[in-house]
Amino acid sequence: MTENIQSTQQNIYKPAIMKIVGRHDEAPGVRTMRLEFQDPADHEQFKKTFRTGMFGLYGVYGEGESTFCVASPETRKEYIECTFRQSGRVTSALANADIGDLVTFRGPYGNRFPIEEFHGKNLLFISGGIALPPTRSVIWSCLDQREKFGKVTIVYGARTVADLVYKHELDEWQERADVELVLTVDPGGESPDWKHRVGFVPTVLEEAAPSPDNCIAVICGPPIMIKFTLISLKKLGFDEKNVYTTLENRMKCGVGKCGRCNVGSVYVCKEGPVFTAAEVSRMPAADL
Amino acid sequence: MTRILFSDKLDNCIAKWRSAGLTVIGPVQGESLSGYAAVEKAAGFEFGMVLPERPLKELFFPQTEPMLRYTIKKNEIDTTDFTAPQGKRIIFGARACDASGLAIDDPLFGWDYKDEYWFQRRNESVIVTIACTKADDFCMCTSLKLAPDSTKGSDVLLRPIDKNRGWLIEELTDRGREAFAIISDYLQESSEPAVPTVVVPEKFNLDACVTWLQNPENFDSKFWKEISMRCIGCASCTYLCPTCHCFDIQDEGDTYSGIRRKNWDSCSFALFTMHTSGHNPRSTQSARWRQRIMHKFNYFPGKFSVNSCSGCGRCSRQCPVDMGITETLQEISKL
Amino acid sequence: MITQEKYRTTVKELLASGSVKMVIGYKPGSTPDRRRPLFIRTSEEADQLVLDSTCMTNLSGYLVTEGLLSDEKRVGIFLRPEGIRSINILAAEYQLNIEQIVILGFDSTGRDVRPLEGRNAGDFSGLLSEIKEKPVQTSKEPLLERIEKMNAQERFDFWQEEFSRCIKCYACRQACPMCYCRRCIVDSNQPQWINTSSHTLGNFEWNIVRAFHLSGRCVQCGNCDRACPVNIPLRLINQRMATEVLDGFDHFAGLSPTQEPVLASFKKDDTETFIL
Repeated sequence: MTENIQSTQQNIYKPAIMKIVGRHDEAPGVRTMRLEFQDPADHEQFKKTFRTGMFGLYGVYGEGESTFCVASPETRKEYIECTFRQSGRVTSALANADIGDLVTFRGPYGNRFPIEEFHGKNLLFISGGIALPPTRSVIWSCLDQREKFGKVTIVYGARTVADLVYKHELDEWQERADVELVLTVDPGGESPDWKHRVGFVPTVLEEAAPSPDNCIAVICGPPIMIKFTLISLKKLGFDEKNVYTTLENRMKCGVGKCGRCNVGSVYVCKEGPVFTAAEVSRMPAADL
Repeated sequence: MTRILFSDKLDNCIAKWRSAGLTVIGPVQGESLSGYAAVEKAAGFEFGMVLPERPLKELFFPQTEPMLRYTIKKNEIDTTDFTAPQGKRIIFGARACDASGLAIDDPLFGWDYKDEYWFQRRNESVIVTIACTKADDFCMCTSLKLAPDSTKGSDVLLRPIDKNRGWLIEELTDRGREAFAIISDYLQESSEPAVPTVVVPEKFNLDACVTWLQNPENFDSKFWKEISMRCIGCASCTYLCPTCHCFDIQDEGDTYSGIRRKNWDSCSFALFTMHTSGHNPRSTQSARWRQRIMHKFNYFPGKFSVNSCSGCGRCSRQCPVDMGITETLQEISKL
Repeated sequence: MITQEKYRTTVKELLASGSVKMVIGYKPGSTPDRRRPLFIRTSEEADQLVLDSTCMTNLSGYLVTEGLLSDEKRVGIFLRPEGIRSINILAAEYQLNIEQIVILGFDSTGRDVRPLEGRNAGDFSGLLSEIKEKPVQTSKEPLLERIEKMNAQERFDFWQEEFSRCIKCYACRQACPMCYCRRCIVDSNQPQWINTSSHTLGNFEWNIVRAFHLSGRCVQCGNCDRACPVNIPLRLINQRMATEVLDGFDHFAGLSPTQEPVLASFKKDDTETFIL
């Protein structure tokens, strides 16, 4: 699965300058930003290298860099979209940046989802809370070439209705005939007008009971959700090799040097962040 | 017949190298700490110590390194790159463990993305190693299948002759040959034998340890908790290690201008792996010590086919609570 | 040797009777002159116990290891008088319950090691008062004398030179029984109070902040000094601060488990007009 791209930059730690061209508040403390490259050469490099699943280091000079996925799909490379929760020093600075402000991006780094291998297959996306962004990149990469895939099912849950991200896109997927969307919130998180499911993602998934036949599952979520969802998928008959997930570890360099993201022998920044469940199960569980 | 460099010619050699534009660096005993530093005269060197307290690594990977200067103006960000200082250097009198450490880290700094801060310095440095004729209780190069006269990472290997009168020369690389061509006028042919290198007893069975470490069952062994109970979680073992390479990236300055730096960091620290969410994959000291050992003897060799330890023993030598790699591997050997 | 043998017996008795769950002491280290911390839970482990004049490390920091005392069971620990002062401070700062600590006190002169009478912190109050009034007469370190003769600029230059070696490994902090903060000020980044880089400014910031943080708390056990891998004479800074605090506030750190922390207590009759 490892596929790395040679950097053409002399200084591998020098980021590209990006302009914020769009901002959208997804949920309390969660924001999506659309960024455009300022240097055409940086943009060319991005267009050449970016594939869905790769991540970047988003930064504000004076504050630092923070790692998250590229939330936009490989079918739309005119810009980069990222979605983050404001929690630390860097994400706070990013959240305070306005449209027109300049921020930085270093990447794209890491491996990718092997989308060509998904051609002709049914797709099951399972996601929880703030972890929809990496899944969303795959979802749109597939929906933008919908004819190449079979049935598309999306199971998405959050703690409360307010915590659901990409609400406008959820509406869009809801209305599409070629997408089956299952939405759920944790018990107690529903609003009076909530028309969808109430329950935890693994339970709802088991109720929806998608067939494992010719199906690829992509799951992203907090570690606890992933743990139980993998159990549910196993019950449903999914082979670990057909289940993909992304690991989001703390990183500083993004290029396999700083030593931070190691899980067992794996450098998440280079060999990941995309792994099959089979690969994850070989990693030391206590180190995840 | 081998060529020989007599100690009393060293001043001439230093002068020659310096006039050829090389900075001459070697083991130096400071007032309260030893390390590798630049000298102008041979008298500045101290060849008598087992090895300098500070590792050679810091001349290639300094504890803090400026990478970028940023200046933020309205609708514009100017960045200037800092590059590693230019200039050729000769490290005269490196220890074999320190030189090996550099070679061990080369693949890490070079896989796919090349870290120019490291390689700029590597390419401009000639490493002249002097084989060890003495060792202390903490030296363990032989346990790592290295030796007091290992050539790994060196451009030239020198073997001391009797009474510290000089060194027999073994040129190993073109870079080494070029550097010694500069001083060839001061070298003599000789058949004098070298002083035998020191015998460093083997402290543990590395193969047995690696086999144990590679067994997934031992990842959760209670051994880790026992062995690391007294670890206080400082970073002195990692910072003085000739191969530990982990770092942090930090911005210093304000919203308008400042410097982005690369600073040493350590897997011993709790915050090293802490996620923003508060989740910490390695939340206990035993998990962190396990990571350090696993990384050095299982994961790193799995990636780069070389142990991330050259047996200098600094980790054990200066540990505030008398821990270290030697003890841990000795204990593993007993399991 | 006699003291060591007696204490081995004591430790075994304490464990056998169930009055402590563990005793923290010393065992032989990797070379004859080294000692390493030992956690004794069984009679066999007690046989490894060593007690001699080379047992220098102040072990009290291990008492605040997360979870160690949370079961409310008692723990025995070998302490020199400085160590007893340390646990008094930890108790005064609500980091441990002094009732849970069984003290196995010792001290040494030259190569002779002798036991100290008592098991509970309160048993040592007389001894500590004596030390406060009559500090052990040790000749002043030549280095300290040298520093005290310097003018401000020379002192600054001296410390700049010393701190230039600092590599920010934080061994001083980790070795210090008083550095129990869950999140140290250097690890806080909102705001970033202290530069993490180990350049001149960052090193000064770190070492000076630490010196102030330890004022009125440091017992001069020497753990930081011995732990420092780059041999910065950290003890001198803390000794000097202790002297200032003793002279200025008549505060001798760790005199009792109920002593008010000097920099955290407010007195209405304080002569200062401003609280920082």
